[in-house]
Amino acid sequence: MPWSLLWRHLLARPLRSLLTLGSLSIAFFLVCFLRSVVGALEAGVEAASQTRLIVQSAVSLFVNLPTSYQSKIEGAVGVASSCKLQWFGGYYQDPSNFFAQFAVDADRLLDIYPEIRLVDGDEPSFLRRRDACLIGADLATSFGWSVGDSIPIIGGLYTRVDGTPWQFYVAGTYRSTSPNVDGRTLWFHYEYLEQSLETGAAEGPQGAGVFVLSLDRGTDPTLVMGAIDGMFENGPQRVQTTTESEFQRQFVSMLGSVPTLLGSIGGGVLFAILLATLNTMLMAGRERTRSMGILKALGFKDRILFGLLIGESLVLCLLGGLAGVGVALATSKPLAGFFDGFGITGYGIDLGTAAFGLALAIAVGLFAGFAPAWTAARLRVVTALGAEH
Amino acid sequence: MSAAALNRDANRDADPGAPAALVRVEGVRRVYRRAGEELVVLDGLDLEMERGGFFALMGPSGSGKTTLLNLIGGLDRPDGGEIYVDGEALSGLSDGELAAWRADTVGFIFQGFNLMPVLTAQQNVELPLLLTNLSRRERREHARHALSLVGLADRAKHRPRQLSGGQEQRVAIARALVSDPLLILADEPTGDLDRVSADQVLGLLSRLSKEFGKTILMVTHDPRAAEAAGSVVNLDKGRLRGIERRARTPVREPG
Repeated sequence: MPWSLLWRHLLARPLRSLLTLGSLSIAFFLVCFLRSVVGALEAGVEAASQTRLIVQSAVSLFVNLPTSYQSKIEGAVGVASSCKLQWFGGYYQDPSNFFAQFAVDADRLLDIYPEIRLVDGDEPSFLRRRDACLIGADLATSFGWSVGDSIPIIGGLYTRVDGTPWQFYVAGTYRSTSPNVDGRTLWFHYEYLEQSLETGAAEGPQGAGVFVLSLDRGTDPTLVMGAIDGMFENGPQRVQTTTESEFQRQFVSMLGSVPTLLGSIGGGVLFAILLATLNTMLMAGRERTRSMGILKALGFKDRILFGLLIGESLVLCLLGGLAGVGVALATSKPLAGFFDGFGITGYGIDLGTAAFGLALAIAVGLFAGFAPAWTAARLRVVTALGAEH
Repeated sequence: MSAAALNRDANRDADPGAPAALVRVEGVRRVYRRAGEELVVLDGLDLEMERGGFFALMGPSGSGKTTLLNLIGGLDRPDGGEIYVDGEALSGLSDGELAAWRADTVGFIFQGFNLMPVLTAQQNVELPLLLTNLSRRERREHARHALSLVGLADRAKHRPRQLSGGQEQRVAIARALVSDPLLILADEPTGDLDRVSADQVLGLLSRLSKEFGKTILMVTHDPRAAEAAGSVVNLDKGRLRGIERRARTPVREPG
């Protein structure tokens, strides 16, 4: 196989080859990127506990439940513990510095979420001060916070009447051992929020967004869910109890059909690049008709010409694929940090995604190269040379 | 390829087992079908070409010259009749076998030179050798030698667009002879050249025939080019009108 010809043909029009290579690189980067974003969105659902339950308002996630419900819920058979979870919606200095903050029952947080592992500070310090909080280690690194610092957070959903920011004392930093618990969250005492509201120091919705329940070992979650939903069937506020896994799934679906949309965009990008590469290769095939005729006249067999053109397409796509996947791998960490800021954990280009990107590159190369290669192989020598008679 | 290798063909003539005629065309018919109409380009043509001969193929436009050249070179297949080259019936070869046969037996020279624009002169000459088992070093040596035979050793690294028309055609001749073929087929090799370049090309072809015993068939419209050949084959309306044997007129060798 005259491989040198393959390279020379690729380099014959360097600008066109470079532009095609650039388009292919961007396309394969986007395919890997979008696949990983969808994967990250679904990772929370997959990693979510099947035995941890979430109790929320049957009307909407945005309608709070009365805190008085908590003791009744804990009375249900099989419930080991419960924890309030209330979205705070604040930010640090500027709204662009967004990260999640939750008011929780501080003394129950680490029991309910064993995935939270303290890496600095300790639980007693967190429990001792009402204004104490635990923050994700990555979050602390991003803003340069450490244990003992006081963090001013401007309330979004809950504002202080005097217009000052909320002050939180950093009692510890943590890392999450599972994608279903965000590694960049600030957890603080529900009591701090509740007392601020009761004393009129702050304004905002009463109650708790959800209750998170842990169950006794061996308990059937379905029975507990039915029992709790039944408890409030005729009450002022009906509840809906689901597994954490189902709750995460509903939360992801609340993003509209974002995963489907992202998947469709990825498919569209792939289809567009397939057509663009096919067009490039068809153009290259047409331009080389005479060259193919010369090679045939010299005795090069059809299969060699087929190999030359399909090889050219494969090399182009594979180089584009390697560049695109390479960029996706190189940007994996910074992008993971970026997505963490939006509560989307688990973004990353794993080996499977990299292999998927390269496999797609090979498939596009084969598909785009087949038609011109087949045409070149079937070409009559005299037609190609323009020498019919 | 070396001068000794090139002389091999001259020695083949001495082989008592070899057929007397290198090329034998028997009742060849070629018909083109266009828009429902049949155009008979070659109509039962018979022709014999002896080994080491230099033949000019002449005739008016549409007489079937290039078609005959393509058929003898295995670039096309006849609708009837048979072509034998060195005793081998071309109709018995599959497309793949015909390609291999071309690589082994025929060297082509075209009017439009037909060099690969992305390759240098030396790489163009090396092309036919990519189909052999020669090492890279051997291929380069053969290509350099072929280029020196056509007086272009100093243009080895030039690309076709950096060469004059005459130089391009001499590179094409070097490519045609580098694999030491039995038969060289040239389709109007001087058609796009000025007189001086044309004389150089004709001188080279004449030398290949006389010194190295190559059998050459050259299509031409130019009576002056035909004077370089030992025989002139006249075609008209797809039929052989006659073969004229003549003494070759010496032409200037390339400088």
